[in-house]
Amino acid sequence: MTACPPQAYVAALAGFRNMNVHRLSALLRQHEPEEAWAVVLGEQPATGLIAQVLAAHAPVRASWRRCAAERPPARVWQQCLDLGLEVLVMGHPRYPAGLLDDRLPPPVLFARGDLSLLEGRRVGVVGTRNATAGGRATARLLGYGLAAAGVHVLSGLARGVDGYVHRGVIAAVSESNGSAGRPIGIVASGHDVIYPREHADLWAAVGDVGLLLSESPPGTPPEAHRFPLRNRIVAALSEVVIVVESRERGGSLITASEAIDRSIPVMAVPGPIDRRSAAGTNRLICDGAAPVLGVDDVLIALSYQNGRSAVMAADLRPRPRGNDLAVYRVVADDARTIDGVALLADLSLVDAAMCLARLEANGWVAQADGWFERTGSPFR
Amino acid sequence: MLAAVRSATVFGVEGRPVIVEVHVSTGLPGFLIVGLPDEACRESRDRVRAAFLTSGLNWPSCKIIVNLAPSSQRKGGSGLDLAIAVALLAANGQVPVDQLERFGFLAELGLDGSLRAISGIAPMVAAMPDVISVVALAGFREAQGVAGERVRVAHTLREVVDALNAEAPWPRPPDGEFIDDEPPPLDLADVRGQAAARLGLEICAAGAHHLLLVGPPGSGKTMLAQRIPGLLPALTPEVSLAATMIHSAAGVRLPVGGMIRKAPFRAPHHSSSMVALVGGGSVGLRPGEISLAHGGVLFLDELGEFGPVVLDGMRQPLEEGVIRLARARASAALPAKFLLVAATNPCPCGGGPPGACECDEVARLRYLRRLSGPLLDRFDLRVGVARPNVDDLLASGGGEPTAVVAARVATARALAIARAGTLNANIPPDRLDELAPLHPAARARLRTELERDLLTGRGYHRIRRVARTIADLQGEHDQVLEEHVVMALNLRVRLSISSRERVA
Repeated sequence: MTACPPQAYVAALAGFRNMNVHRLSALLRQHEPEEAWAVVLGEQPATGLIAQVLAAHAPVRASWRRCAAERPPARVWQQCLDLGLEVLVMGHPRYPAGLLDDRLPPPVLFARGDLSLLEGRRVGVVGTRNATAGGRATARLLGYGLAAAGVHVLSGLARGVDGYVHRGVIAAVSESNGSAGRPIGIVASGHDVIYPREHADLWAAVGDVGLLLSESPPGTPPEAHRFPLRNRIVAALSEVVIVVESRERGGSLITASEAIDRSIPVMAVPGPIDRRSAAGTNRLICDGAAPVLGVDDVLIALSYQNGRSAVMAADLRPRPRGNDLAVYRVVADDARTIDGVALLADLSLVDAAMCLARLEANGWVAQADGWFERTGSPFR
Repeated sequence: MLAAVRSATVFGVEGRPVIVEVHVSTGLPGFLIVGLPDEACRESRDRVRAAFLTSGLNWPSCKIIVNLAPSSQRKGGSGLDLAIAVALLAANGQVPVDQLERFGFLAELGLDGSLRAISGIAPMVAAMPDVISVVALAGFREAQGVAGERVRVAHTLREVVDALNAEAPWPRPPDGEFIDDEPPPLDLADVRGQAAARLGLEICAAGAHHLLLVGPPGSGKTMLAQRIPGLLPALTPEVSLAATMIHSAAGVRLPVGGMIRKAPFRAPHHSSSMVALVGGGSVGLRPGEISLAHGGVLFLDELGEFGPVVLDGMRQPLEEGVIRLARARASAALPAKFLLVAATNPCPCGGGPPGACECDEVARLRYLRRLSGPLLDRFDLRVGVARPNVDDLLASGGGEPTAVVAARVATARALAIARAGTLNANIPPDRLDELAPLHPAARARLRTELERDLLTGRGYHRIRRVARTIADLQGEHDQVLEEHVVMALNLRVRLSISSRERVA
């Protein structure tokens, strides 16, 4: 165990049950890592917050001793080495400067990828997990456009908007000659606990071409309370936070409020006032967030001087015409069932089905649970 | 002092003949029933004795032994009362023995000597084809439906005795037309809007395609399902007889006419047990809901709330049209060929347009996982049902009435039977190219769907069968065109179990 560097002790402590950011920070403010380890095990007297905690909650000591036995520093350190992670404690020369003066800086960060990205221009893009087809397309386009303009894009790698933003970024990276902005993913679980599982490819890709950061040591499960904490890091590391689609409440609004608390500008993509999927973003705009109508709006907010964004590749989809166009307009207006389409486009059920089939085959609409939605984005 | 009388009991949906032998001898007065009677059967001793006394018949104060042959087979219920009474009378010399072998007796006795109808009369009468069945008045129509003229009725034990002694004629059975007390089938004209769902019902009825209705609460899934029996043709004589037997054996009320002639509609609650659904039970292997739905519709509302084991139990009968029940003592095969119609919400909160769902991802997944897999695959049609919009609800005229749709359904069914000898849902995969040839454009459409991973191999065959039915309904008898395939695809909604895992 003597072979362990000091970070190993912090990494192990961060994985303890009943350990949180406040306690770990308090511990490390007063003790060196090895000493902190001894304090937690009761080999040295505790002071301050830790002393209070141990006095008030008797089982905590036992729980920490168990954790210490299960996950000794040497093992955690080996896991970090195996996963190729850099362990950054506060004071480490590569610890992100943007977090040093934060209200609640992470005591330790686990990083995979290129840390220098945090010195470039950075925009956070977040949104609901339960996104509409339109929201997903918007997220993808924003990610693509920002990356093509050389801006690094932060997000949480969750389902829905988060995932699509980074897919857009990765598309831009693979098309460019190295000048494109990179994806920066901030995740809540350990690096080896991929959540959601279907994003395994995305995690790998973000780590390979960009940067993947987590506050949790390897092996940490995706517990619910970790996600709001993750959101504060997304906010703190962004120069601008954009919310793509959100309900009245949700994780992306937590990110927005964390950004507001840190005086980081928040922008939001507006939507129809009668759509729940836009309720949160419209409220943000109402409360003073700047609306995002295109990639350019974001670039201007970042005060890019020569601001025209790269235009996405030409739209090669065959244009709908005749009845198809009428049906597309109906669907573009709002999500519809086939009944609704037939009624509003004044077509027979079979004709409506044929139009929708052509539109779907050409990529203009998508269907799920019997509802047809426009796939295109208002950015076009 | 020995007499034997014919009667029967029910096992599963089959009647089994029973010989009731009575031996009266001198000795300590007593009454003993042997031959594996159940409790209700053993209690017949007391009913028979009371009926004797109130009917003014002579109760022999001797040693009475009743044997129910074959003795190795369990007998249940009170239907042997009358046979025991008549055998005792014969053994006691109060009715002539030589008359008895022409008759079979099927009724319960009241303490006042009246005859009461029992469940299972139809299969029991069918099990005694060579004799005249004597039943209570309320069981007459049911017995007549199976045995025609070989039925006699009586109101009381006294009347039976008098008729057997030729002192009085058998009471006249009720004649003339009975009043049909069946409520008329629910009419499709009541359904406002819901064009796609209406088409789904029509196809379901025409091709015998199992149907899953997916939609939020209040969108009318139950209302739609209840209208399917009205679209189905009247039962054929064989199916009608089988359905009557099943209902009779299960003790479910039969229509006044005595026979089930219209497609039954069974809607068991989702708390139903496995035995209630597929059949079983300790004594007689009572038919379950899937057998009661034979020839008609089994409607499972809130499909996801049914126990997974219960739903799995239905897979074999869905394939074979028969449920084979095996118990330690006996086994039986009960008919169970039904049209499965089920309804479910798309997620625990009920869902709605995209973005409206309030469920968290895990709850949603868990909910849909209960449905996923082999059972979902049995549904040829998965129709999305949305809440009708206000204009449709307020519109004065409804859609097409049931009669019009049912006529189209009947034509399409006749066409399918003439072409393939079976309804379209049962076309085997290897005959699809012969019976449902695809127009090149239709083939191309299916190819794209398969290539885009929106359709699985199994789904492919199902889509082709449904498309065949749609073509039949539209009078397109030869090729299946692209529009039919597209419509079939639209009536097989993709359920977004998660972004990656879809049921296609």
